[in-house]
Amino acid sequence: MRATHVLIVVAAAAAIACAVGVLAGSAGFGVASSDIVWSIRVPRVLAGFGAGAALALAGALMQLLTRNALADPYVLGVAGGASVGALGAMLVAGAAAATLSEWGVAAGAAIGAIAASLLLFGLLWRRLASTAIVPSGEAATALLLVGVMIGAGCSAIVSLILTLADEGQLRGMVFWLLGDLNGASHWEIVWIAVAVALAIVWPRARELDWLARGDAWAATLGVAVGPRRRAVLLAAAIATGAAVATAGAIGFVGLVVPHALRRLGVRAAPLLLPASAVAGGAFVVAVDAAARTIVAPLQLPVGVLAAAIGVPTFIAMLLQRPAATR
Amino acid sequence: MSEALLSSNGLALRAGGSMRGRVLIGRLDILVEAGERWVVVGPNGAGKSSLLAALAGVFPLAAGRVRVDGVDLAAWQPSLLAARRAWSPQFWSDPFPATVRETAALARRRGFGVRSVLDDGVRVDDEVERVLDRLQLAPLAASDVQTLSGGERQRVAIATALLQGAPLLLLDEPASHLDLAHERLLVDVLRAHAAAGGAVVASLHDLDLAWDLASHVVLLDGAGGAIAGARDDVLVADRLGLLFGVAIRALVVDGATRFVVADDASSIASGAQR
Repeated sequence: MRATHVLIVVAAAAAIACAVGVLAGSAGFGVASSDIVWSIRVPRVLAGFGAGAALALAGALMQLLTRNALADPYVLGVAGGASVGALGAMLVAGAAAATLSEWGVAAGAAIGAIAASLLLFGLLWRRLASTAIVPSGEAATALLLVGVMIGAGCSAIVSLILTLADEGQLRGMVFWLLGDLNGASHWEIVWIAVAVALAIVWPRARELDWLARGDAWAATLGVAVGPRRRAVLLAAAIATGAAVATAGAIGFVGLVVPHALRRLGVRAAPLLLPASAVAGGAFVVAVDAAARTIVAPLQLPVGVLAAAIGVPTFIAMLLQRPAATR
Repeated sequence: MSEALLSSNGLALRAGGSMRGRVLIGRLDILVEAGERWVVVGPNGAGKSSLLAALAGVFPLAAGRVRVDGVDLAAWQPSLLAARRAWSPQFWSDPFPATVRETAALARRRGFGVRSVLDDGVRVDDEVERVLDRLQLAPLAASDVQTLSGGERQRVAIATALLQGAPLLLLDEPASHLDLAHERLLVDVLRAHAAAGGAVVASLHDLDLAWDLASHVVLLDGAGGAIAGARDDVLVADRLGLLFGVAIRALVVDGATRFVVADDASSIASGAQR
């Protein structure tokens, strides 16, 4: 089986990426003191892996749900909500002259992500159950449009916060927005989020392949369309919110990783979802290791390098799509 | 099993499935037994797709009931119903790359074990290869569905429906985009399916093809009128002429009835205006 070979390669790549991530430091490669390894590098690798896994999983879910290979976790608007929450927390802390711990920003991001998710669910709850006979039906389109609008609203608020923030805070905020694993030490929540999201969607993952072909067709095969779509959206929101709260809005992982796996022959959702999680984790850990070392001792935000890889890939995808046939 | 594979009692449909839509079908009673091939005929927008979707359970009825194996659709457990009837919609979405073989086997019943997941999520068994071969898709089996022509994609849709393994097939425009040779192939495949104990309900535009496939016909006029019955009682030139608003003449060629549009259409067309 070709797909099983790809899975073995992905698992091996993940192991190698984690090893490199632990060995790579701003002073070059090599074994550092056990203090540095255990209190800085290992938590950072774990946080990066979890965030990448969550984003790639959420990306695969959103692509299946919207029937659009160009969708990513951020079309939900959940990440936008998390950004507003995180930056809002930084702004409030700055105004109160308090120093905000890592946890304070993460909590702000989580609250923002939850608020955006509630808004998304509130607006779409009934639409998600629709089973249009024509597969270009309204639920997928409504989901994309509402998510994009929530995101647009959030980015306007982010701009407002950046305008209000003073010079000292701006740098931290911009780094957070780009996606930054620097100092990320709380990795547990995003791992739990990935586990929960997979537990929600994986047992019935095959139904997602059917839903992508048409709502009504999936319904004739016994899929409970409304509950299934809501469950997938919930899983994607949990994964995205936790990832953004942990590592900021790292771009393109959720778009590029599922796409690359499909190109390699991993198409069926029961395989694609876990494979996306593992490959996404490996991708972010590898990119982060590079971001820490290529201009050492300066550390680039991981989001910058991810975009440097993601943007050309995205454009290549867009231009290479085969002509649609019906 | 003495129950009919499919039956409708007092079935009524409105456009869009809403009670405010115009009446598509006022009342339709049909009884589809194993071995029968029902063809739904009517002008554009008459409700052919809505009827097939309603029989499949994915379009709301304005009145009446639909039974499969004598059991009301609402009383079926959905996954068990999927093993008894397959519905093939008129339009498919192919958002991601997938081979013809994967797409044909999408709805194939199989276990949920680890093994079925590791086999690329698709169990490609002998039956898949046999059906692909029967529909002349074997040379395309490894091609991407996104690159197929309309007629090729249509044959993949028929393969998907056949491989679902259900005796009752509800096919919406299965002949669309098919060339002449593949239209004949479709008729042969569906007749064989019925002869093997299954049944087919399909909407078709080509009246000659309808005559060749059908044992029974449902005529829809899109204004509430529905006539159902044995092919030779329903598929009559005068009635078809009134329905479509053109003069239609029936000719018998080598034992098969062919319908031709006559030249003097205007007089009959004006008489057919409702």
